[in-house]
Amino acid sequence: MKRITFSLVAIGALAGVAAFTSASGSASKEASPIYGVTIPSGYRDWQLIAVKQLHFAGMGEQLRAQVGNDIAMKAYKEGTRPFPDGAIIAAMHWTRVPSEDNDKVLDVPFPGTHSFVIGSPVNVQFMVKDSEKYAATGGWGFADFTNGKPGDRALHETCFPCHQTAKDRDFVFTDYAATP
Amino acid sequence: MKKIALLYVAVLTVAGIFAFKTSASGEFEEEIAPIYGVKIPPGYRDWRLISVARVGDPLNDLRAKLGNDIAVKAYREGKLPFPDGTIIARLAWKQKTSETIKNAFRVRGGTETNLSPEQVEKLVDGSFVAGSPTNVQFMVKDSKKYASTGGWGFAQFNDGKPADEATHKTCFSCHEPAKDSDFVFTRYAP
Repeated sequence: MKRITFSLVAIGALAGVAAFTSASGSASKEASPIYGVTIPSGYRDWQLIAVKQLHFAGMGEQLRAQVGNDIAMKAYKEGTRPFPDGAIIAAMHWTRVPSEDNDKVLDVPFPGTHSFVIGSPVNVQFMVKDSEKYAATGGWGFADFTNGKPGDRALHETCFPCHQTAKDRDFVFTDYAATP
Repeated sequence: MKKIALLYVAVLTVAGIFAFKTSASGEFEEEIAPIYGVKIPPGYRDWRLISVARVGDPLNDLRAKLGNDIAVKAYREGKLPFPDGTIIARLAWKQKTSETIKNAFRVRGGTETNLSPEQVEKLVDGSFVAGSPTNVQFMVKDSKKYASTGGWGFAQFNDGKPADEATHKTCFSCHEPAKDSDFVFTRYAP
């Protein structure tokens, strides 16, 4: 009996280690405070909504891309507002760095050009539409993850007040970038 | 007989006009780029994201690179040279200031970060979204067909129309410095 108990404890400990290991990976199951949003699997493969440069206070210029799941993309392409439940928009943010290699090449047709590419990932943010669950915040749940870890409660308290300024656009800043 | 012949000519003329209209009015899939004979791959706007970039003065644009399935697989597996069938699309838009973002900065920027109005305006000045599209470029891998240009066929389309031959003559010489990365400038964004 003692032996069985011991092996149960061992298994439990191993399971604990395994759970901890998975939490430290990039596919975190940790939820954002307030809204309880986790990182949607496969978001890096979603379709492109648009790109931006944002000069963020204290963080310099960032290059950003917004991608959407199928529900979000359908709503964008058909111009459906408000976005239907199930829509998820992901905003990926990277540091912006100068590209000397690209400058050299661009200098031939466009002398003196300064070009920029992405440096390293900064964070990823999600907006998840659930008009009942998130009724108090325009139907949107918000989440900010840095290196797979959700930001703190204070950070998440800033999401809705900022997006509230885009109330007439269903609280979404980004427009679909036209097809060249 | 004369009547039938005339009718025949009339039908052909109408058909000709119709064909001209459908092919010229936005059905750009059939437009072919000079030198390399590359067409716009259907559905490329829905491809997965490789990375983003920006070019400052005098272009002042924002860019996104998308890849078809073969391209994205090769990028993730770090496979060089890219296999045949790879297509990389480079989309570009004029940068523009977003009134929505400007407003959010002005309303929230000061209260949340204790920035002065001047500092907030500096953030506004350094922030851009994708405006009107400028052009789209493609690199298509076919190591046999394009053996003399590193295995790549190049194409640029402005508003659905291929750019001229002179433009396409500049593609390969420009990409040649990136020989070590199979003539591709863009790296996959983590």
